[in-house]
Amino acid sequence: MAEKVEKWYPGEGKLTPARTILYVILMVGIISAAARLFLGLGATTNLNDAYPWGLWISFDVLSGVALAAGGFTMAAAIYIFNLKKFEPLLRPAKLSAFLGYLVFVVGLFFDLGQPWRIWHPMVMWNPHSVLFEVSWCVMLYTTVLGIDIFIFALERWKKYEWVAFLRNLYLVLVVAGVMLSTLHQSSLGALFLLMPEKMSDLWASRAIGPLFFCSAVIGGMSVVILESLISSWAYKRQAELKLLSSFSKGLGIALLVYFAMKVTDLYARGATVWVLDKAHFFFYLELFGTVALPAILLSFSEVRHSIKGLYWAAGLSAFGVVLNRFNVSLTSYGGYRQFSYFPSFIEIIVTLSLIAGGILIFDWGTRYLPIYKSELSGGTH
Amino acid sequence: MSKAMLIDTTRCIGCRACQVACKSWHNLPGERTEFSDTWTNPKFLDSNNYTRIIFKEIDKPGGQLSWHFISRRCMHCNDPACASVCPVGALQKLENGPVVYDDARCIGCRYCMMACPFQVPKFEWGSAVPLVRKCDFCADRIAINLAPSCATACPSEALLFGDRNALLKEAHRRIGAHPAKYYPEVYGEKTVGGTSKLYLTAVSFDELGLTHQGFRTDLGNIPYGIYGREWMSKVPWIALTVGGLAVGLHYFNQRRAEVQSQKSQESQEGKED
Repeated sequence: MAEKVEKWYPGEGKLTPARTILYVILMVGIISAAARLFLGLGATTNLNDAYPWGLWISFDVLSGVALAAGGFTMAAAIYIFNLKKFEPLLRPAKLSAFLGYLVFVVGLFFDLGQPWRIWHPMVMWNPHSVLFEVSWCVMLYTTVLGIDIFIFALERWKKYEWVAFLRNLYLVLVVAGVMLSTLHQSSLGALFLLMPEKMSDLWASRAIGPLFFCSAVIGGMSVVILESLISSWAYKRQAELKLLSSFSKGLGIALLVYFAMKVTDLYARGATVWVLDKAHFFFYLELFGTVALPAILLSFSEVRHSIKGLYWAAGLSAFGVVLNRFNVSLTSYGGYRQFSYFPSFIEIIVTLSLIAGGILIFDWGTRYLPIYKSELSGGTH
Repeated sequence: MSKAMLIDTTRCIGCRACQVACKSWHNLPGERTEFSDTWTNPKFLDSNNYTRIIFKEIDKPGGQLSWHFISRRCMHCNDPACASVCPVGALQKLENGPVVYDDARCIGCRYCMMACPFQVPKFEWGSAVPLVRKCDFCADRIAINLAPSCATACPSEALLFGDRNALLKEAHRRIGAHPAKYYPEVYGEKTVGGTSKLYLTAVSFDELGLTHQGFRTDLGNIPYGIYGREWMSKVPWIALTVGGLAVGLHYFNQRRAEVQSQKSQESQEGKED
């Protein structure tokens, strides 16, 4: 099987225009990141005392982790809810989840004032801190995903006795992954429980933990759909439309549940919803444009069964999750701070290069590792 | 005994001796100052300025002006949000009052800056290896029974250092003795669970218009760290519930699928017979 993998895709290993652009972005990003390390955060970013958290927290950390929720969502669907038909979607989801967490860790490394102390939470404990819990969960979960990816590599190297041994542990890995993900996906929202006084009423909710968890599931599911559509387009394969249509029903349900949670929460807190200002514009865009709209779209069978329809519905929901994270961590403070914040060139290019790096590794991984259905050598865990 | 400082803003003359004393005790660099629309200098707290006096002019009826000088610095909360959120425990409330910061632990995540209800912790943005900086209540001086440098320098006894309970008693005595002079509330007595800096003002902070400059009046009396700790107390239970449910559902659904496939097999066999 493995020999087949080596010559599997058209254009493999060639420097296509798309790859060239990604490599250029990556190179500029690496230079910018080096500048950030040597010159410091103040010189290279637009962060300041009024905006201690900016693009890197909003995108690399909060959005990145939410969009990488596909790994645990798929594992839960397949192993816990026994929806075995979705198995072909599992491996790419795990690979993209692992890359999402790598983006998170690398992004956080550059965001920290003292990057080389990133290991401190391992030995210096503060069990009162939500961020302490998040860092432990992320550390452990990235390890779980790393083991998953390592199993793929072992298959590639034909170390089948190792693969068999590690597969005996799969239930432990799945349960640990689901548990750790539930905790840190919701706790990333709980970080903001401490600052209701600084946030807009629209997002300062006591229920922000469960809301973050639910929207992370949406983010994970929509990325699984997008990733499957994009890779079948990029590698010129037939899209697994039948499977994706069935899967997108689940996304539609998750969107409806999330919409109901959001509305209930806003109503219960008596938040002022009908005002026209900048915060409310982004709020309407988030709730109606990226939660309600894709939910309505997915209720149509025609949409679920067309590639274009799935692109739109999954794209909108994924964008909505990102928008929500930006709203909670940036827009929400607009009325509170005396200043405004817009990321610097270096902040933007470092984030872009993290995305580019993620895509390049994914591209490499799909070519080198047994990721897709046709390459599986037996078991699937 | 927890130490505190009574800041009687009606006694402050705006000389800024406290700012100078703070800089010299903490070895902070001087800066070129700038004119602005107020007499306040510097314009913000930052990593080189742990304290500053806010100069506030309030219009009085009849075209008169009244001056208010408000010394701003870390409030040294009894139950500080910054210490509660710090993932590595770099910030700590000492028993004798100060909230102190450990340079060697900090990873620079800046969650303390986000969480502080008074927007006090500041970051060394100019440095390649930045740390968080804020007023430390001269913890090193208090440890050897000296008053904080600002209180020592104050010529008008606007900064009174002492035991928190005694200072609270004194604050309420002043309000009772001069009801016309003081707003009848000690800012910091109950705010966010009480702070080690206690403010007496002539008018409320709302009227002073400082709610966006670190003196919010809508903070309530509950320490903000509680919200995070409340969440953290649930975490082990969420973990157990989710883990248990995951294992249980896995076996349940697996068994159900087995039974189903067996049934369909049996019914097929039945048809064949």
